[in-house]
Amino acid sequence: MIHGRLDYRHRRRIYFLLAGNLLLLGLIRVLLKEGSSFAEVLRRAGPDVAPVILAGLAMTSVIFVGAIDLSVASIIAVAGSAFGVLVHHDQPPWICYFACLAAAWVLSMWNGYLIRTLKIPAIIVTLAGLPFYRGLALIVADLGIPDFGGNISVYDAAYHQPGKFYAGWILLATIIAALIWEAFGRTPRQWLARGNSEEACRLLGMKPERILQSAFCAAGIFLGFAALIAVTRLQAIEPGRMLVGFELHIVGAVVLGGTNIFGGEGSFGGTILGAFFLYFISQALTYAGASAYFQEAITGAVILAVIGLDCAIHRRQKQLDELA
Amino acid sequence: MNWHEAPDMRNWILLLLLLLEIATFTFLSGVRFDSAGDFTAYFQSYLGDLITQSTPTLLLAFGMTLVLITAGIDLSVGSMVALVGCIMASFPGNTEFWWTAVPLGLLTGLTLGFLNGALVAWLDVPPIITTLGTMIFYRGLCFVVMGDLEKAPFITVPGYEWLGIFSGVIVMLGLLYLIGGPYVYHSRWLRELFMMGGNRIAARYAGIPVQRRTLQVYTLIGFLGFLAALSFTARNSSISAGSLQGFELQVIVAVVLGGTRVQGGSGTLLGAFLGVMLIAVLEEGLRGASIWGDTYLPFEISHLEYIFLGALLLIGVWVSNIAHQRSRA
Repeated sequence: MIHGRLDYRHRRRIYFLLAGNLLLLGLIRVLLKEGSSFAEVLRRAGPDVAPVILAGLAMTSVIFVGAIDLSVASIIAVAGSAFGVLVHHDQPPWICYFACLAAAWVLSMWNGYLIRTLKIPAIIVTLAGLPFYRGLALIVADLGIPDFGGNISVYDAAYHQPGKFYAGWILLATIIAALIWEAFGRTPRQWLARGNSEEACRLLGMKPERILQSAFCAAGIFLGFAALIAVTRLQAIEPGRMLVGFELHIVGAVVLGGTNIFGGEGSFGGTILGAFFLYFISQALTYAGASAYFQEAITGAVILAVIGLDCAIHRRQKQLDELA
Repeated sequence: MNWHEAPDMRNWILLLLLLLEIATFTFLSGVRFDSAGDFTAYFQSYLGDLITQSTPTLLLAFGMTLVLITAGIDLSVGSMVALVGCIMASFPGNTEFWWTAVPLGLLTGLTLGFLNGALVAWLDVPPIITTLGTMIFYRGLCFVVMGDLEKAPFITVPGYEWLGIFSGVIVMLGLLYLIGGPYVYHSRWLRELFMMGGNRIAARYAGIPVQRRTLQVYTLIGFLGFLAALSFTARNSSISAGSLQGFELQVIVAVVLGGTRVQGGSGTLLGAFLGVMLIAVLEEGLRGASIWGDTYLPFEISHLEYIFLGALLLIGVWVSNIAHQRSRA
């Protein structure tokens, strides 16, 4: 169903990423040393890549409607602060988890509300949110923990359950839910419609503002799970420094997955494959014995090469479209 | 005439805000002046420090304003400056540094900027995606060049220190803002950039060499990135692969705060200058008011910097949007 909805350019990107992922997995299988298990590599992939995919799904939702969220890392930091403060006050784990999910959801909704009411481009609102929420995370930690010195230690294993034991399952359940929703649900299609033309949506009797808010609502839920997994994997939460620069890496994975950065085109599946592709490249490099220092450069080069090539191929068509 | 109809009036408001900010933070820092001489000496050293430390941001704000005017963006500036610095840092710190490392740094800056421009102009990759990719790519190259090391050959290079002190940065900034600024402001070149930002396709049909202009603007950012790297390394004496992370957003926030629209087609260099200074005063002021903060606030006052930065940006753009809408009505 969704396959027919995607244009040939996006479908080709999905096939490329599928083939690329399989190829990389094959490469990793060949490069594995004696004593290492391939099943273990696969088992570890889910939890490792879970925060990126979940935050990627959140970013994809907001990019679908023609917005963007540059404050995702700072929102996760606030969620982390809230979680850490409650852990510090010995609250039961489920309350801490709930606070983490709720903080991310509320702030994402708040972003949507600001964009809707102030009529300011999402890139500016969330660019302002980036330092603002980071400051909020630090102030929450300052207020909640009397002698806060920059990090919050979480030693008790009871608070690490989602990140260390259930990350793969949470990821799998969310991916399945997202893909089913995308294939059969109406809302993701409305997001794409708004991303294509807000004016057309309005003329059709839809409410673009409400569609935008619903995208930020869904993004808040995805982001809540991303925050939960990212935060509960850590022994020490550093609200001021955790995940700095994460937002742009997420945008990188989303764009690599074929989603149009200006909205109206894309798929959750592409984002998932894009995030796995970047992860498997770094893993393949590690198993090939390449220095860890090369990994970031290669990630950047891959994003540039795939998107640059795609744009170059379609350049002629784009110029002809201009004339039409 | 309403203030929003004249961009110059907005600059006056920014200037007023800046003075208000300086006065508030001077009061909070607990400095007291016994004589006019004290007052002058304090502000001389205060402004000197302020300008010296914000030189890299000021240099790149110039380029970022121009690129935003064309409806582009450059997210790679932080990584670019760091990479130029890292490459220069791999040379030994002696007299030869001036004719080996420095020219190579210049060439690197120009090449990195040109690469961004080429991808945007020739391959039609959207600027935000191009520079996002190059941001990650250039940062990765920093790690390839430097690894985990922090290098400091700059201290032993004869005369290099001058680039980081007040007289050096004033020459750099003076040339850029006082000579380059007015020249650009009155040039046909800038008007072409405005037109590209307003409507790229119309600009092409109007005979503006859009590709060439795009290349020029991004290459100019590369050149300014080289100057910023000189000033940063001269002042900080050392550099590592992780230096200047988040710098790009600082520059963009400052420029947008100064009244440049990210959608393109509007912006002023003076606004960018004032935007950078507003943020620098805020940063420095909160640092100076730490004793006041410890006494009266239940949290670290320096953490307020992030809150103010976000709020300032949002309020600034909101006010400027309302003004823009009214002026069009």
